[in-house]
Parts: sequence; structure tokens; C-alpha cells
Amino acid sequence: METYGDKVRLAIIHFPYRYRDYAALAAQASEAARAQGKFWEMHDLMLERRKLDRESLIAYAGELGLDVARFTRELDSEKHLPRVNQDVELARRLDIYQTPTFFINGRKLVGERPFEAFQAIIDEELAKAQAAGN
Amino acid sequence: MPVKKSFLTLMLVLWAAAALAVDIPLDRAPVRGPADAPVTIIEFMDFQ
Repeated sequence: METYGDKVRLAIIHFPYRYRDYAALAAQASEAARAQGKFWEMHDLMLERRKLDRESLIAYAGELGLDVARFTRELDSEKHLPRVNQDVELARRLDIYQTPTFFINGRKLVGERPFEAFQAIIDEELAKAQAAGN
Repeated sequence: MPVKKSFLTLMLVLWAAAALAVDIPLDRAPVRGPADAPVTIIEFMDFQ
């Protein structure tokens, strides 16, 4: 993202693996943070710290200056679970079975791949866009 | 009937395009970066 500046946008679809302890909770936490306008801040913090148990998530909410009472209430009541489940259904419809899975202008890239793999596709897509006059 | 034939061809092309394209709705997704960016990366992710 940093390399390409405003040439690239990133969208997230939740696909928490159902047998991991905290995957679904973390996805809901990101949506609870999003409800307070801090999705990406929470996204970055969770990826940096890696601890995703309930107490850690609540601590992150405090660090980010969120309304912690509201965040905790929404997490405990699973308020954002339907939103997350919509994404899971979408992933199933598309027959996605591994995370992360990326689509770069519709071109699929599966798994943790080196930056060069992304770079190759992004550069091709940018060249195409340039040729098309965008 | 050339008109009818071209219509059928058009329908076939549209159908093929729809079948090939990965249509992932982003209206509900958190998005970072400008809406008119030439490249869109969609990540199906698991935080854990």
C-alpha cells in the first residue's frame, strides 16, 4: 500500500476460520472498532500484537481511544456477528477455502505470498490501466 | 436476420463476461485508499 500510494485501494472481506479460537471474535472486534470509525487502526494493532483474546481486544480499544463500554457491549452481545457472517457466506459462494486470499483487479492470489508476487500483478494492472487511458 | 444474430451474439458475450468476472460486492467492506484507484485489492482475511 505504501509503495503504490493512491494507485491502490484495499478492501477487507472477513473470513474467520471457524476452528480457530479467536478468529471470529477478532473479526467482530474490527467491526466494533469500525462502528466508532477506527477499523484500520484496530486492524493494524491486531496484526501487530497478535494477541486476540477478549481482554486484549478490549485493551486495544482503550489504547485507540474508543468508547470501551460500548465496544465491550457490542463484542459481548455479538452485535457485529451477522455482518461477519455475511462475508463468510460470500467467501463460501466464491469457493474460497484459505486465508489470506487476494483478488487484485479480479486476479486471484492465494496464501501468504512475497511482496514480489503482488508487485508483478499490480504493475501489470497499472500498465493496463495506463494503456486504457486511466 | 442479422439483427437477431447480433443480439444473440451480444447476449452470449455478456453471459460469458458475467461468468468469468469475479463479482465481489464491496458496498459493505472496509476500504482503504481512493475509490478511483486503478488497482483494487480485495483481501479475504482472518486476523488469527
